[in-house]
Amino acid sequence: MPDSVATRPGGFDLRRAVGMAPVAIFVAMLIYIGFNAPNFLTWSTIQLVLSQSVPVVVVCLGLSVVVMAGGDDVVSGGIDLSVPATAILCAGIIAQQVTLAEQPLFLAAMLAFGAALIVGALNGFLVTRIGMTPLLTSLAMFVAVVGVNNVITASRRIDIDAPLILFLRDDRIVGLPAGVAIALVLCVVFVFAIHHTKWGLNLQAVGGSREAAEVSGLRPSHFLFWSFVIAAFAGFLASFFVLARGSGSSPGTEDNLLLEMVLATFLGASFSPRRVVTVWGAVLGAVLVAALSIGFKSMGVNVFWTGLIKGSLILIVVALGAASQRMR
Amino acid sequence: MAGPVLQMRDIVKTFPGVRALDGASISVSEGEIHGLVGENGAGKSTVIKVLAGVYGADSGSVTLDGQPLTAITPANVHDAGIRFIHQDLHLVPHFTVTESVFMGQEVAGRFGLSKRQMRNMAERFFREVLDIEIGCGRLIRDLTTAERKLVQIARALIDDKARLVVFDEPTAPLAIGEIEKVFAAIRRLKAQGIAMIYVSHYLSEITEICDRVTVFRNGKDVAVFDKISDDSAEDIIKAMVGRELGQLYPNRTHAAGEPLLSVRGLSDGNRFFDVDLTLRRGEILGIAGLIGSGREELVDTLYGLRKAKSGTIELADLPLKLSKPADAVGKGVVLVPRDRRGDGLVLAMNVMENINLASLEEVSKLGWEMRGAARKRAEKLIGDLDIRPTNPDAIGQTLSGGNQQKVVLGRWLAIDARVFILDEPTAGVDVGAKVEIYQLIEDLAAKGAGIVVSSSDPGELIGLCDRILVMMRGRINHEIGTQGLSIDQLVAMTTGAADFSTAGGTARSAHAG
Repeated sequence: MPDSVATRPGGFDLRRAVGMAPVAIFVAMLIYIGFNAPNFLTWSTIQLVLSQSVPVVVVCLGLSVVVMAGGDDVVSGGIDLSVPATAILCAGIIAQQVTLAEQPLFLAAMLAFGAALIVGALNGFLVTRIGMTPLLTSLAMFVAVVGVNNVITASRRIDIDAPLILFLRDDRIVGLPAGVAIALVLCVVFVFAIHHTKWGLNLQAVGGSREAAEVSGLRPSHFLFWSFVIAAFAGFLASFFVLARGSGSSPGTEDNLLLEMVLATFLGASFSPRRVVTVWGAVLGAVLVAALSIGFKSMGVNVFWTGLIKGSLILIVVALGAASQRMR
Repeated sequence: MAGPVLQMRDIVKTFPGVRALDGASISVSEGEIHGLVGENGAGKSTVIKVLAGVYGADSGSVTLDGQPLTAITPANVHDAGIRFIHQDLHLVPHFTVTESVFMGQEVAGRFGLSKRQMRNMAERFFREVLDIEIGCGRLIRDLTTAERKLVQIARALIDDKARLVVFDEPTAPLAIGEIEKVFAAIRRLKAQGIAMIYVSHYLSEITEICDRVTVFRNGKDVAVFDKISDDSAEDIIKAMVGRELGQLYPNRTHAAGEPLLSVRGLSDGNRFFDVDLTLRRGEILGIAGLIGSGREELVDTLYGLRKAKSGTIELADLPLKLSKPADAVGKGVVLVPRDRRGDGLVLAMNVMENINLASLEEVSKLGWEMRGAARKRAEKLIGDLDIRPTNPDAIGQTLSGGNQQKVVLGRWLAIDARVFILDEPTAGVDVGAKVEIYQLIEDLAAKGAGIVVSSSDPGELIGLCDRILVMMRGRINHEIGTQGLSIDQLVAMTTGAADFSTAGGTARSAHAG
């Protein structure tokens, strides 16, 4: 009896190969950089890579939750492009309040937190109640939020020297840069919440098949709404690392963050044995992307070329993802 | 024996303008598989939805274990131990078996999900209750359809509180060999005293697995059969249609002429190999085979939906290069696909638009669709094919399965095709509509069209076709005329049993009847 229709004995599994291709491309590029960039594979470069990757890692935590709740179809599934904008807005609010208005950091952070919640709730409302597609909603939200930040900061760079920010930037915890260590804790919390709790598994079920979730008594709109709120919260958390990395808030940071976030999250899907977006996959993806950026820099590749390469990589990763889905 | 587990009495449910249930009753006992049959619109699904709490009944009573069920809501019904196995699988492709079984009812401790405990519970359930090994760490997308169905069953029963399970067309997506697996599981549940309602169009399955059968017609139970044997099917059909059903299959008036389509050495290098076949004018050629035998892939390749690796397809000595369906349609080769909801019918479009979809040029001038001509043509075909409702503006989605199929057929009738490839032409279609579709196929053949029927229903193949090609593991294993061929013999060939013993000797006939 031909039982296993899905598995073909022997032979070359094209679907699997396509699913693995993005990682293979990345590893190949890193090996190339490793041979060509001086001192790339040293502990100090690795620490630099980790430190630089932290803001992207934290926004990726948010995006991966939204993608898992909404499904990984790039057009109609879950996506939240506004997370980097939220991070920049929160950073702008904190820097403006602390440095210019001379408010305590705690108060400034509370203000930023409130702003992030509003963005997240608004995204969730527009998607679940009004029925807009996440892609368009969050793209519009990205532009609007960046606009608000420009108003608040008057589109200027604002330095910050609050102790917490300096601690994140300069201190070390158990041999790791403090920012990296704390981001690691955040990652563990997110991985646990999404991959090891009932709520997290239910959220993944909603993203996997909305009808199946509904039949099982779950309310998809509940999970979709909260995924956007969580993503905005991740944006809020990321703002501290953005401030630490840049020693303040500066306009224009959001573009690169957006690019790397999308690239890292969908690249992360190729790490997962199931070929779906996962929290830990996105985190790993973010570190790889940072390694690539720094690798290009230390090889002396022109910054303008770096943008072209990253953009092409997004296209390749997403195209391969779509191709491997079509083969299912 | 104790009283019935479930008793629904004199249920009445009206929708605006329709009396969907008109005093319907059904009663199911412990450890009983109770068949519920009826033509489309007889009220089967309405009564199930009343039981599920989706619709509130206007009047009537429902008792479970002798206790009246009041406040019938989906949550209450679930708590009372009534479970539904929907026709659609409703599973997440990238979830594991364990995750799927526990979806929405996960077991969690203080430190998050108890993954190991859930896995152990799922494994024990499959082993002890369903008596199969399935591999609880596998992903749903890697399972066969039958295995997915078993996962769905496990999800409904894992909490061990089920008293009554309602199956809605559980075998619809399965091949013959797979049906037996699901049946084995259902029989295991029966042995454990669970009461079951089994809703299906496949009467052969009803007579095989059910202990008792209730027949619905026009919103009422018109007959209850307490003893079921293989011979019951005829009586059940009589009760369903309320009149003598002449003959399921039409009288043959067609005669085979010169060759029309010839296929030589066709392989896709993967699912089927070295297929030779010749289709003549005015001939109905059947293709039999289990899911996985390469039957579906062969049919798709004949139509250009899949690419062939080697071999030739010639149409009346005109070599055919098929790389996309439009090539085939242009040469008069048309497909009526198995998944008519997905591939055949544009559900959001109305009947008129669907019928004219393939022939828009003929009702268009300079790229403009002429609505008047389109409507006229649609109305004529609706009349010819007896499509209900007769309104050309009815939306495809609202039609019953049989009528949807007639619309898809109608689209191709609108373009005078020479070769029809029909893939599971009557899947999910009620008996009355089946007879009409069979007659339509016969008429097409009588007019000289060549017809390929790919089907998992052996009765249909024998009743309709002149010759049958039996596929197994990607090759044509038998080619046989249908004169005097029995269903048992055909099933024996498709399952491979015929290759090891005398034909029909050991094969179970899952579809006999």
